[in-house]
Amino acid sequence: MNLPRSFPVFAITFAVTYAIIYVLAVEYNWALFTYAPTTGKFGPLRTPATAGPTMYWYGWISTAAIGAAAVAALVTLVPEGVAKRIWPGLSWAVPLCVIVVFGYLLKGYFLR
Amino acid sequence: MWIVLLVVHGLLAFLLLGAITHQTLSVWAPPRSKPGSFFARARAVPATSYVNAIIVLFIITAILGGLIYTNYRITARFTLEQGRFFKTFGAFELKEHFIALGLGLLPAYWWYWKSALAEEHPLTRKMLTTVLAFVVWWGFLVGHLANNVRGLGT
Repeated sequence: MNLPRSFPVFAITFAVTYAIIYVLAVEYNWALFTYAPTTGKFGPLRTPATAGPTMYWYGWISTAAIGAAAVAALVTLVPEGVAKRIWPGLSWAVPLCVIVVFGYLLKGYFLR
Repeated sequence: MWIVLLVVHGLLAFLLLGAITHQTLSVWAPPRSKPGSFFARARAVPATSYVNAIIVLFIITAILGGLIYTNYRITARFTLEQGRFFKTFGAFELKEHFIALGLGLLPAYWWYWKSALAEEHPLTRKMLTTVLAFVVWWGFLVGHLANNVRGLGT
């Protein structure tokens, strides 16, 4: 399969920015849309459900995916010499740090 | 219908767990000679051939889990809260975030396994595989645990 030479830059940047945007989206509730499982209805942004709980998870994932894809697409435009300096290890190190951050944010459930 | 979805989700998760575990063992402890023991054979798999299957299984299992999650949200979750199963509840909250993070790793994971150019970065390949394996193991164990506390349809 022939991929553009910039694909690794896209993949690394996507992994990094997706993880960062996702944790911010959860913390500040930047949901692109919501879902009300009781009524089966979707709503834009942070629309509360008319009955039952409101689900934000799909909205957070969408925010992170679209945001990360946009940032990664922009970063592929940087000159190749600069792009080669991006450490590939960021693709796993940043998501791993975000995993630890979630453990910290939700520690209250385990300390009761 | 929820029970069927849950069983299919569990079976796909089991396949994914097996594939990613074989691959993780093969990158951290590749066999040096002809494998003889069970453990040696488990890590002597052609790891690259697992990549597409792992990605497809991860995405389909996550989509099925996302569908079942709507039912969990209006049934089982209340039982966990009201029964004060806070550790299980918290572990499940972590599961949803870890799975979401796993989705973001897939393009890099694919590249660092499939591209010949990426062979210059073996640590990146190992760590991407390990983080994904952690996510899959966490999701599998916690999903099983939450289902045992208050399974769908019970």
